[in-house]
Amino acid sequence: MNTPADQRNGETPAIEFDRVSFTFGSGGTPVLQDISLRAEPGERLGILGPNGAGKTTLVRIALGLLAPTSGEVRVFGATPAHARAAGWIGYVPQRAAAELAFPLSVQQVVEMPTRLGLKPWQRPDAEARDAVGYALSVTGCEGFADRPIGRVSGGQLQRAMIARALASRPRLLVLDEPTVGIDAVGQQQFATMLGDIQASLGVTVVVVTHDLRTIAAGCDRVACLHRTLHAHGSPDGLTPGVLAEVFRHEVEGVFGAVHVDAHRAAECDDPSHAHHAHTDTGAEGGDDAHR
Amino acid sequence: MRTVEYLFGSPELAAIFWPAVVVGLLVSVLCAVLSPLVVLRRMSFIGQGVSHAAFAGVGLAMVFGLGAGQAGDWGVVAVVALTCVAAAIGIAALSDRKGLNADTAIGIVLVSAMALGFVMIQHASEAMRARGETPGFGVESVLFGSVLGVRWGDAVAAGVVVATEFVLLWWYRRRLLFWAFDSVGAAAAGVRVGATRTLLLVLLALAIVVTMRLAGVVLATALLVLPGATALRCSTRLWPVFAISAAAGLAGVAIGLVVSFELDWQPGPAIVLTQVVLYAGACVVGVVRSRRAARAATA
Repeated sequence: MNTPADQRNGETPAIEFDRVSFTFGSGGTPVLQDISLRAEPGERLGILGPNGAGKTTLVRIALGLLAPTSGEVRVFGATPAHARAAGWIGYVPQRAAAELAFPLSVQQVVEMPTRLGLKPWQRPDAEARDAVGYALSVTGCEGFADRPIGRVSGGQLQRAMIARALASRPRLLVLDEPTVGIDAVGQQQFATMLGDIQASLGVTVVVVTHDLRTIAAGCDRVACLHRTLHAHGSPDGLTPGVLAEVFRHEVEGVFGAVHVDAHRAAECDDPSHAHHAHTDTGAEGGDDAHR
Repeated sequence: MRTVEYLFGSPELAAIFWPAVVVGLLVSVLCAVLSPLVVLRRMSFIGQGVSHAAFAGVGLAMVFGLGAGQAGDWGVVAVVALTCVAAAIGIAALSDRKGLNADTAIGIVLVSAMALGFVMIQHASEAMRARGETPGFGVESVLFGSVLGVRWGDAVAAGVVVATEFVLLWWYRRRLLFWAFDSVGAAAAGVRVGATRTLLLVLLALAIVVTMRLAGVVLATALLVLPGATALRCSTRLWPVFAISAAAGLAGVAIGLVVSFELDWQPGPAIVLTQVVLYAGACVVGVVRSRRAARAATA
């Protein structure tokens, strides 16, 4: 399998986790253990994991808001804190994070990060205004830029938040659960938009999600996270077995301990397995697991 | 019209009532500009905690022997300001701790400050009376404010605080707004969110200190809540919200003081009730407007 990373060996990775572990307090169970992963410039890295897998902690470490207990993180060769201060990282938080009753227009929200570096008496220059205009247009926000942020749809709000992250011209865009509460059509539009953004800006994208479909749509690399990494590489590495292992804890939450042996029905040569024909277009053949 | 008589009748009366008017108008604009942030960040209850800490501050000042007369006023203001800022920082620090949410932290600070304040004010007042002095503060005036207690020294203090706060608010407006809108996003964009929150808490604490002399400890926070709530009912645009809030704050204090003079009410309750009426008016206008918009949409 040939990922863009293999073709670009020797370049500084856009983001690199080197044996990163994180524990809250002292002596507790590690939230993250021995995580090593990377994304090359221009790639889209999808990090997939169930709730409680340590995804948010991983994002906070990547942003330099938390320091790993051990191991090292580099963003374009620098520490995350440096990268954040330099404006290299654009971050799109989960939707619930913002105060939507705030009397701000979509445009004012998108302008916010571009004005932080200015002296109080300075006004944004033409370059900064162009960056805002470009961010609004590439995300398709122009049509509702003047509307109050609390009066746009879920999909529009998400595009506004992505525009805000892009307005400061980042080199790395980090999206935390970008497709929560967005329907199938919206998800497809979202994937297309991310593709457009990457094609025109060359920005590296990290998508963190528990939603398999978000990952399946066009990531160059996928990492499956549940405290440790269960797989990291091209999306081809996402086998039913790996996914079943990653999401096993959620299944066990319902059924108690389960024995996981998930595989593609098409590749199964055990005659004792009764595989059902699958009608869901998203899956290739039926998968099953033993209780 | 008692208002005309008090303010323009004689130099003696004017000297008593004008400081209250000046302080009232100054603090009303300051509190009203802070108010949308307080409402949107859901900090109303923090304001309550901080303002009740002023009660302990007054008690502390009286135990130190301050506040008996004009000369002691600056000392009182300083002690109360320090107590309120300490309470604000204390609440912030307590609510950052695991297992203790902001509500509990504020509840603890509020009641302990009230209890301590009562004990200290009572003790100090008795000691002063025993020495044949008149205490500068009664519990009631600390709780509900008083026009007669406001002097030109308070007006100068209020002027300094209001000017300083406006400069700081303008200077830090971008990061304050970003943080207030989305603290996680602001942190990721490089805003020091802890420092920004502490800044707003200190600004709130100082605003409460200059407000409480007129409106009292119990009602000072109303000036930090009602104008913003009123403005947010009227507009969804940033600068109009702040402008309407400032106007509502000014109108509330001006009308409230006139009511207080005419009906001989204490100024705090008069101002707060006026602002409640303004808020109710904004709600009615909002409901009528949205109904009309809905009717226009269906037509």
